[in-house]
Amino acid sequence: MGKSDDISHEPVEKIIELRLPSKLGYERVVMDTAASLARRMGFHTDRVESLKTAISEAVTNAIEHGNQHDAAMKVVVLLTARDDELIISVADQGRKILDQKCTTSSPKIADVLETSDKGGWGIWLIRELMDEVEFTIAPSGGNQVRMVIHLEQ
Amino acid sequence: MTYTTITTTSMELTLPNELGYELIARDAVAAFARRLGMSVDQIDDLKTAICEACINAIEHGNSLNPDLCVQISCRVEDECLVIEVRDQGVHPFAPRGEPLSIVEKLAGMGSLRGMGLMLISQLCDESGFVSCDDVGNCFRLAFQRRQAARSSR
Repeated sequence: MGKSDDISHEPVEKIIELRLPSKLGYERVVMDTAASLARRMGFHTDRVESLKTAISEAVTNAIEHGNQHDAAMKVVVLLTARDDELIISVADQGRKILDQKCTTSSPKIADVLETSDKGGWGIWLIRELMDEVEFTIAPSGGNQVRMVIHLEQ
Repeated sequence: MTYTTITTTSMELTLPNELGYELIARDAVAAFARRLGMSVDQIDDLKTAICEACINAIEHGNSLNPDLCVQISCRVEDECLVIEVRDQGVHPFAPRGEPLSIVEKLAGMGSLRGMGLMLISQLCDESGFVSCDDVGNCFRLAFQRRQAARSSR
């Protein structure tokens, strides 16, 4: 799957699109779908687990923050399978636009322990687990995170 | 590409028209059904039925054309999980009279293939082609959620 004998040698890519309601719990549908694709592409089990964790964080952020738990708003996920990598794009409808400072800063454990909210690790986790991460504004105007995981042969 | 209105409990999936991707659809729809609290037995039936429906769409409706796609929508309708599998209708479905039974096929009276629709009908509560606004075939599968946890609606 995703491979081809195309003599033009152009990069072969296959795209899966998933549209889900902004309800917590539905991130599991994306996790299972992406894991299914990644396994069939030949990713090692521990990479698949990393992918699932990163996707869980990205989709949860889209539901909780970008779409503010409005179940009528959509989360759109694109899974692009190439010969040597899997690209995952998660976009929300941007009820709340992400502060770009949040996408680069790392939480400090000592500071987090002082607060009652122990959250805020999602973006840091995504950056740790994925090979490439980019936060942008989606064409629809919402937040978009693009994550890439390379297939090591 | 058009999409039906997404409700708070619905999902839409678009797949490349390539054999093998029915397995991704199977895992995505199974994850969605688990969110609805459906039983393991029902989910097993659903997985087989969705694979058969997707293979029909890829092989027959879209005539294995890799430039086309298959769209799947899942939604809760009354007490049912309703799944629609749409192709782009290169080859519109045309009923060909009463299909041969398994006994007749095993007796060599016809091809051993072509049992997908019969298999689906045995696994679902309702199934069949329905009219749709778009060009292409739309195959509808419905599963009663009698064993499902009602709190998941």
